[in-house]
Order: sequence, then C-alpha cells, then structure tokens
Amino acid sequence: MAGPALELRNLTKEIPTGNQQPFVIFKNISLTVRDGEFVSIVGPSGCGKTTLLRVINGLLPPSSGQIFIDGKEQTGADNELVMGFVFQGASLLPWRTSLKNVLLGLEGRKQPREAEEIARFYLNLVGLSGFENHYPHQLSGGMQQRVNLARALVVDPRILLMDEPFAALDAQTRTFMQLELLRIWSQTKKTVIFITHMISEAILLSDRVIVFSHRPGRIRSEFTVPLARPRNIDIKSDHRFVELENVVWKQIEEEVKAAREGSPI
Amino acid sequence: MKGTLKLISIFGGLVLWHILATRIINDTALLVSPLVVVVKGYEMLFVTAELYPHLYASSWIFLNGMLLATLVGVPLGFLMALSPVVRDYVNPWMTALYTTPRIAFAPVLLLWFGIDIASKIIIVFLGCVFPILINSFYGMRVVSREFVEVGRSFRLSRGALFLKILLPASVPFILAGLRLAVGRGLTGVAIAEWFGATEGLGYMIFFAGQTLNIPILFVGVAVFAILGILGFQILKIIEELATPWRKGFEVK
Repeated sequence: MAGPALELRNLTKEIPTGNQQPFVIFKNISLTVRDGEFVSIVGPSGCGKTTLLRVINGLLPPSSGQIFIDGKEQTGADNELVMGFVFQGASLLPWRTSLKNVLLGLEGRKQPREAEEIARFYLNLVGLSGFENHYPHQLSGGMQQRVNLARALVVDPRILLMDEPFAALDAQTRTFMQLELLRIWSQTKKTVIFITHMISEAILLSDRVIVFSHRPGRIRSEFTVPLARPRNIDIKSDHRFVELENVVWKQIEEEVKAAREGSPI
Repeated sequence: MKGTLKLISIFGGLVLWHILATRIINDTALLVSPLVVVVKGYEMLFVTAELYPHLYASSWIFLNGMLLATLVGVPLGFLMALSPVVRDYVNPWMTALYTTPRIAFAPVLLLWFGIDIASKIIIVFLGCVFPILINSFYGMRVVSREFVEVGRSFRLSRGALFLKILLPASVPFILAGLRLAVGRGLTGVAIAEWFGATEGLGYMIFFAGQTLNIPILFVGVAVFAILGILGFQILKIIEELATPWRKGFEVK
C-alpha cells in the first residue's frame, strides 16, 4: 500500500458568515490511522467531531486540507465506495426490509445474486439471520443499528466511519452492542474511526483514543489504550482502564469548562 | 367495537333524518325520509335503470380528471421540489389558481372547450391537481436529510438517489394528496355538470332541484357520497399495498 490507511492533513472546516469572521468548526486536524486500527474520537458536545466524520466521508467539503486513503487523495468526486458510514439514529430506509437496506450499497455494483449472498453473509455476521424480511419498524433499536452496521460493511469499505452509533440505545443494549462490535471488528479487521461522547466506550473499543478540544475543534491529546485484545467486559475494572478513563475525563471536563467560560451551564 | 360505534352512528343519523322528515318538517316538497330515497334509488337502479347513464357519465369525467391531475401534478410537484427555477415560475400561478374558486372558471371553460366532455374533465382536473401537486412537492421537499445523506454516503447517482430515496419517501404524501383530490374532484364533477350538461349526477341533481323532485335529488347526493367513500377506500387499499412498511407508523 502506498501510504497509511487514512491520513488527514491540516483539515479545516469553516462556515462563512457573511461580513464577520468565518465560523470555524474544526481547525488543522492532522491524523494518521494505520491499517486495521480502531481509533475513537471523544470530545465535548459541539466540538465538531461529527462534522469531521462527515467531511472525511465526503458529505461535506473541507475548507482546506487533504484526505488520503492508502496514499490516494480523496476529492469527493470519486464514485468509488471506499468508506462505509454508520449513522447515529433512524437512518434505515423505512420502506426497505433489512435485506434490502443492506443491499443498498451493492445495487448496481454487483450482480443481484452475488449481492444478495454478500448481504445475507453480513446480516448473519451482525447476528440478524432470520430477520431479512423485517422492516425497520419491526426491529428493536439495537437490531436497527446492527442492520446499519451490516449496511456499511457490505460494500467492504477500506475505512469504516461510525458516528455515535449506539447513542440512542439504552445502557444495557449499548454495552451489549459494544461487545458485539468488538466481535464483529475482530472478524472483519476494518480500519475504524469511531465518534462517541462516552469515554468508557471509546477505551473499551479502541486502539487509540483522540481527545478533541472545544470548538473550534483541535486534537488536544491522544492515548494508546494499553489493554490487550481480545477484550471483554471485565477490562472495565482493570486499573489501567479506570486510570485512562479518569485522565480523559479530566481533559474533557477542562474543555467543557473552557467552552462555557463566562456563561452559565 | 370501532365497527359497532360506526354502525350506531350511521343508523342513529338515519333515524334522526327520518324523524326530521316525517314528524317535524313533514313536507315532501322540502325533505323526504331516507326510506323514500332508498326506494327511489332501488327503482332507478333496478326498475327504470335511469341512474346508469348519469353514473357512467360522472364516473368517466371523474376518472379522467383524476388521472390527468395525477399525470400532471406528481411530476410538476417533483420538478418544483427539485428545481428552484421551476418553483419560482410555477408558484405564483399555482397560488392564484389554487385560491380562485373553480366555479369562476366554469363558464369560460365551457365557452372555450364546448359543452362536451373536455371542458368537464378540465374542471375536475383543476380541482384535483392542486392537492396532488402540493403534496408531491411537499413530500419530496421534506425527505429527511438523513435519508439523503445515506444515499450520498453510498455514492448513489442522481438518478438512483431519486428512485431509491426521494421517490419512495414521497409516496405516502402523494397518496394523501390523491385522497384529498377525491373530494375536490367530485365537487368538480357536480360543478361541471351544473352548466350545459345533458347527463351526469350533477345534471340529475340540478334538474331534480329545478323540478322539485326531492327523492331524485337526494338519490344524486347519496350517490356522490357513496362515490366519495368508495374512492377513499380504494385509495386506502392502494396505500396499504404500496406502503406496507407504514403499518408500524400508524397511530392506533
């Protein structure tokens, strides 16, 4: 491969506001992600982490900076599907069954029979065989996010982008889905960028945790998670886990305070 | 339970009507009992068969007007939603035509297109087209940003984005527009047949009114009501077949 799996170079996103200074959402983000790495980005609300993910995915153009995948610059005009996106909430198409939702990214790219075979494989991988013909409203929130994940994985993307995929789930389902994601990730070995505001989720899942500053978002610090894989729920009580969680929390707390300086909470 | 309440409501209404006609007003030149209407309707359907030409004429005008309105309204609504230029051109005309009472157009349409079927279909069309157009426009405009982003994140072409995301998301709105159009279309039929017609339910009612034939007048009104209910039910079935995924959204 000609370069790291994903490289962001001085990525900046601003929104012009007319006569005044532009509204800067994030500034000079440089990040290198190696093949098969699981990287989480945490930060205070409104720090621009979701926008960053949308810029990486080409849904929004960057104001400046570059995005490289395997050394190849992404311009957004490309029709090739190199990224899979797992959305936050109700993004499944309600008029399509699970199978048809998963097929969306393969339609027109693969022969129908082959496409269906692949879609069924991924539905099975996320634990949903038997639910192929269910509509989204017939599935629980956790199951919907499984379909969401299968839909992103089915195109065999080079990079998997996940935007707070479990934010809308209840605490129990969320923990269960985190462990499921660990299992699925260990089977697919995808390179993942995972956005979350839950520090324990980031540590449990990731090889590396990136802490964002308050807006305009910058990379404040990054931590390599010193915990061996495969991981299970028990590592949450490992002293290294707890220490890292505390350190990250203190930093985010500072960012939240700095963001709210002078204004009441 | 729901069915029972409906039956009680219908039956109660008819009983009140009967009492009003036979005990309170008690003048067959003003109001007749529903029983008389039923008997007259039966007679017109199965004895003299005089209802059929009117029924066919009105249904034919109605169906043609609805079809034309759908063929024009849906694509135009989509175009307006997708192109700001089209929107700006069509909007002032749409607003003006929508708010002008259709009956005001009837005489001039008769003048232009004659008293045969064309002018009548156009009057029905004018009634039906706006709810269909507005709903198609609105349906496509309010497609959730998230769904569009899903399409874009999968790098769907513009055509695929329309066919796979925008169109299916708009279907429920279009069907709601069609349902609204049924009532307005039937009003259009009545208006169209009021002027210079020689057959049709509207003509039948108008003529019965002029000749003070109250039973026939009420048969005409009842047939209009039945046609409206029928249209609604047919569209409901179409809706269930076209959007099976919406069952879970309906509030019981």
